[in-house]
Order: sequence, then C-alpha cells, then structure tokens
Amino acid sequence: MNFKRDALASKIPVTIITGFLGSGKTTLISKLVRQPEMNRVALVINEVGEIGIDHDLVASSTENITLLSNGCICCSVRTDMQETLRDLFAKRSVGEIFDFDRIIIETTGLADPAPVLQTLVSDTLLEAQFRFDGLVTLVDAVNFPLLKDQQKEIVKQIAIADKVLLTKTDLIDSSSLEKVQSDIRKINGQAPIILVTQGQINPKELMSLGLSTSKSNEKILSFLGESPSEGKYLGQFIQAHDSEIKTLSLRFKEPFTWKAFSSALELLSNLRGPDLLRMKGIVNVDGKPVVVQGVQHIFHPPVYLNDWPSSDYDTRLVFITRNIEAETINTLFKTVRDLNH
Amino acid sequence: MTQLPQASSQADQTLSRNMTLLAHHELGGFGGLGEGMGLQITKTGRRIMWLAHESAPKNFSGVDVTDPKNPKLIVQTDLPHMQLRSNSLDVWGDILAVAYQTQTVGLKPAGVDLFDVSDPEHPKLLSHFDCSGPHSRGVHALWFVDGKYIHMSSGSGDFEPTHPLDDQFYRILDVSDPTNPVEAGRWWYPGTRVGDEAPPPPRHPKFDTGYRVHNSNVYPRQADRAYVGYIDGGAFVLDISDMKNIKVVSHWNHSPPLNGFIHTVLPLFDRNLWMVSDECVRDDGEDWPKLVWVIDSRDEKNPVSISTFPMPPVEVFSKRGGRYGAHNLHENLPVPGSFYSDTIIIGSFFNGGIRVFDTTDPYRVEEIAYYVPGAPKLSPAGAVQINDVYVDENAIVYGVDRFGGGLYILEMNI
Repeated sequence: MNFKRDALASKIPVTIITGFLGSGKTTLISKLVRQPEMNRVALVINEVGEIGIDHDLVASSTENITLLSNGCICCSVRTDMQETLRDLFAKRSVGEIFDFDRIIIETTGLADPAPVLQTLVSDTLLEAQFRFDGLVTLVDAVNFPLLKDQQKEIVKQIAIADKVLLTKTDLIDSSSLEKVQSDIRKINGQAPIILVTQGQINPKELMSLGLSTSKSNEKILSFLGESPSEGKYLGQFIQAHDSEIKTLSLRFKEPFTWKAFSSALELLSNLRGPDLLRMKGIVNVDGKPVVVQGVQHIFHPPVYLNDWPSSDYDTRLVFITRNIEAETINTLFKTVRDLNH
Repeated sequence: MTQLPQASSQADQTLSRNMTLLAHHELGGFGGLGEGMGLQITKTGRRIMWLAHESAPKNFSGVDVTDPKNPKLIVQTDLPHMQLRSNSLDVWGDILAVAYQTQTVGLKPAGVDLFDVSDPEHPKLLSHFDCSGPHSRGVHALWFVDGKYIHMSSGSGDFEPTHPLDDQFYRILDVSDPTNPVEAGRWWYPGTRVGDEAPPPPRHPKFDTGYRVHNSNVYPRQADRAYVGYIDGGAFVLDISDMKNIKVVSHWNHSPPLNGFIHTVLPLFDRNLWMVSDECVRDDGEDWPKLVWVIDSRDEKNPVSISTFPMPPVEVFSKRGGRYGAHNLHENLPVPGSFYSDTIIIGSFFNGGIRVFDTTDPYRVEEIAYYVPGAPKLSPAGAVQINDVYVDENAIVYGVDRFGGGLYILEMNI
C-alpha cells in the first residue's frame, strides 16, 4: 500500500446559486442562514445587510464577515469574487475566521455564473483548494411561463443547473405547476426539481451535487446522470426537448487518447462555446476512466478515477446544447479520434 | 466594529480541516502519553494500540481499537517508582518492547523490558535489558520493527559522557531470543565519550539540549542504514552493515544558527528524500522555529534542505499555551498495521495538533488536513499538546496528548 491523495476529497466544495431577478434568492438566503445545518458553511453574498439577519443571530462581525451564532460565516463580496474567495481561504488558514468546510455563493444579479466558475478553474490557489460542487438555479414558478420566451437567460440558467429550485409554488395551481415542471424538463431533463415554498429548503439540498472523490463508487454514476439500479446509461430517460435547447447523449465504444479527446473538446468549445451550455461525462482514456465536466466554455480539470464505477467501460458524454445536433458532436469526436491513430 | 474572535488563538476551540474525530479516550484519568505508540494485530484479529505514558505513575496502556469508534482500555500498568518514565515502546507480532528512563543517572530500572502480549490483557515479562550505570538514565526512545533488533537511544553502564547532557547514544540490541537480549552494536557522536580522541563538540549557543540520540530508525528494505536524529548533533545516516564497526554515511545539521534538536529522520527511499523533524521543547514559541524539513538525499555525502512544511503563524499559536512546533511524524513503520505513504506525511505539533501534508511536490509541500483538539480538561498547558501520532493501514489516525488529554482517534478526508 502506498497511499496517494484523492484529487478531490480534501478540497472545499463550492455551490453556486443563480437565478433571474425576482426568483426568490433573497428570501431563500435569509431563511437559509438561520438553519443549524449551515454550521461551518461560508455564505458569500453581495451585502449582508440585504438579507436582514436578526441582530440576535449575529455572534460577531467585521467589515465584510459576519459570524452567526449557528456557525455560519456570512461574507460579502468586496472588490471581486476572486479576491473574496482568496481572502476567505487565507483567513481560514491562519485562523482569523472559524473553520468552514464548504462555500455557497449567491450574488444578486449573478445571471451568468460563468465568470465565477472561470475564477475557480483559472486561479491557481482557488483551483488547488476548492472544487465546484454544483450549480443551483432558482426559478420563479409564477412568472416562468411568461419569462421563458422573453428571457434567454432564464433558459440558459436552467440548462446549466445541477438542481432547480422552483420557488413560489404555493402561488400557482397544481396543473400550472405541472406544466412549469414539464417545461423545465424540456430544457434540462437531468436536474432534479425541488419545490420551494416561502424560501424554505433544507441546506443539504444545496450540497453534494458535484463530484467529491476520485475514488470510484456508485455516486459517480448518479453524478453522471446514470442510475446504477436501473442500469440505464446516460440520457435514456431524457424525452422531449425545447426547440433550441437539447440534451445530447453520446456513447463511444473505442477508447480515446487524452490528446484526441481534449483536442476535440477544445475545438468544439472554440467554435461553439456559448452554445455548449453544460457537459458531463466519463471518458475511456487508454482504458482508464476520466470524469470531465464543463459549464459553457469552462472545463474543470479532468478527474482520473482510481477505477471504473461499473462494468461499462464506454465513453459516455451528456451535452446540453443550444442548436447543436448530436450527430455533429459525434462525428467531430470520432474524426479527431481517428485522426490521432 | 468588533473584531472577529480569532479561532486559532482560543485554545478551547477545536480546529479541523478534512479530519473527523471518531473517538476520544482519556485512559481512566491517566491521559498523559509519551511518544510510544504501537499497533498489535493479534492472532485472533484484535487490534490493540499500545501506548507509553509520558511520566509516572503509569507505565504503558493497552487500548482495544478493533472498533476505532469504540476504544476500550484493556490493561494499564504501573511503574515501580515515580522517578521513572517509559515514554517509548514498539510492538512486533506479540512482543512488546518498552523503554525505561530514570530522572537522574544511576537509578534503576533503566533499560528495556520485553513482554509477551499474545494475551494482551496479561502482558508477561520475558526479559529486562539493563542499561543503568553511574552516568546513565537508561533508554529514551526505541525502534523495534523486525522482531530481531531494537535500535535505541540509550545510556550504558560503561559509557561516561564528556557532558552530562550527552548521555544517550545509539545502541543496537539483538533480541532474536527475546528472553536474552544482547548488545549488537553502538555508535556515538565523536567527542561525547570520555576517552575519545575527538574533542567534545561545541555546545549550542542558545539552547543546549545535548548531543544525544532521539529516534533511530532502520527499515528492512535498507537494513544497512540507520536514520538517526541526534538532537543538537543533527541528522545522521549510519552504515550499520557491520554493527561492530558503524560508520557515518551522511550528516546534516541546521544548527546553529537554528535552535537545534533534530528528532526524527524519515527516509522516503523511492524519492531520495528525508523528512526531518525537529522537536519543540520550550513553551510559548520560545524556541521557534521548530519545523519539519524536506531534505534531498540523492547525494549521501551532501544532503540538501529544499523546503519546510508550512505551518500556521507562530504569532497566533504560541499564544494558545504550551509548546507549538514540530515533534513526531508517522514513520511508515514497516509492519502490517501501519499506514504507508511516500507523499502523505502526518505529524504531531503540540498545540498545533495533528497536521497532514502532501509532499508530492517536495519544493512546495501542501497542508491538506489538520485536527487541533480543544484544550483537554485540566490541561496544565491550557491547550492540547499532541505529543505523537500513529496511522494505521486503514488510514485511521491516532494522536495522543502529553498531559492528560489521552487518545484521539480520527478519520481523514483526503
């Protein structure tokens, strides 16, 4: 035995919450901070004052960091997210703030989480110490039917989500609610939809949405959207789709070299980055399993698993795209792979 | 605007990153533990953690950790008198070797006991090797991982040091017959024995702790080499292929100008590196820096320091109480119940707790986990003083407090 470090396990997970204006983020956050499960969670928001924390909940505070009596650390963004996150880590390292084990980021007006994700991937310190643990999109159930055709941003936010929180569900009737959920599934057939009333959710719903270990286990299959018990491969359960937004499931039987796979992905991203809303997959690289994921043109470092999570050794990829056909991507990857032989 | 309370400066606060406490045992009120930790896996599959106490009245304790979440104290023995400490032990198979060091020279028992612990609840004494003498305090630390040799820091009846602090040198005992240990070899820093040709070595200008052996480690895969921390004498690698004629192969010392006390030399054979640990011996940061050093050992004649393990600020931790700084490492013992990693190094840092490092890039060692227990009840230091650490083959971490906190059992998420 020569113990080697797990590539992901020791990193601090980061959840990003996004949502259109009026989707209920402020209400959600103000309820969230009070929960005991928020102990050892750092919450990064625009302004602590915005969420109206009761005075008796505050243990102590400084310029931009407020420690709550339930152990939650509220931190407001100062200059920019990159500096805020670095500062949080630095302060934790030297013991200036109490330990936290995860970060939840919600910044008002964060319509596009891509810049935050880019920061997590490209900043050396942040990439070494943090890992992306999922994107949660809030959707206003009442206004969604009207906004979805008018606001492309809403559709994109749903398409890239790992989980959708449908808010204000107590304000619409059940058949309207079903229609909203069905429309959301046409955009993103994979992300679970949680119904939220008056901003109340269990903080655990925001956690563990991402890949947390490079040690092979069944949870990896869930992360990839596969269900080990049902034996389905990625995408079989996806049904109808939105006219522009499509969920594409691709399977490749022959292994790739990393050079071929990454070249193909890079080419696709260069040409159609803004339309590559989300991708996740497991790639057979010279026989070894590698998990890949990306949000738009931002790809996270590939994670080499120590073993295959199941007896399926094919490369399986799921893309959520705008106006890209499955066959196009299929052909691209196969061609590049063949070129590399 | 109020200041945020500084978590790390409050010794009652537990600090943790990527480590979870599974269990804590105070050993029946005798939770002051030294630097002897050994895991026995019995023939019936029980797992017994043997722990040497830091000071009298207790000698050693056996804790059944078969279920690491439910440790049980199964045996606890007493020293024959109060001017004695065990502090160090190792177990190989069903043989437990325990060190005895007296408070002053000339006292007994000073030396090594060997016990048969095949029935862990009833240790049976097999033999005592006497190291007492007019200038000897006996044995401070021992290493026993192959069932054949004990490597130890010891005085002897026939050894008179040139300086009273230099009274423990490197001795090898052949215990292939555990009922009849015999000395197989010895080596001492030239000049530290009366009668040496070499002059006595110069004393450390600030903290004279002595030219004395602390840890002496020998690994079966390189059985001709002993890796010795010689306190103010520095780090040595000795050629012990001929135990009657031991030679120096490598020597490295950072002191002076630093503050001496090299404690452990842990070789990472496949990477040509040594992890060299100091020991902090003063409270409140008085002898800072006390660090873990990464040494490039490719050239045995010229070991080079290339980095140190990153540590949290001494300005903060020196105020927690007691000692803060390096001490023991998990030494990759070549025995079945031991964790082995040539990149992940786990150490004990007194009030800095247990800290875990990734040395994959030896020039930029990264801290990836830690656990600093809150101050144990009635701790005279006012803070935890993690004295030693042992990690088993399942990556379960065992840490012990020097004064009363007892045994902490932890899991890592790395």
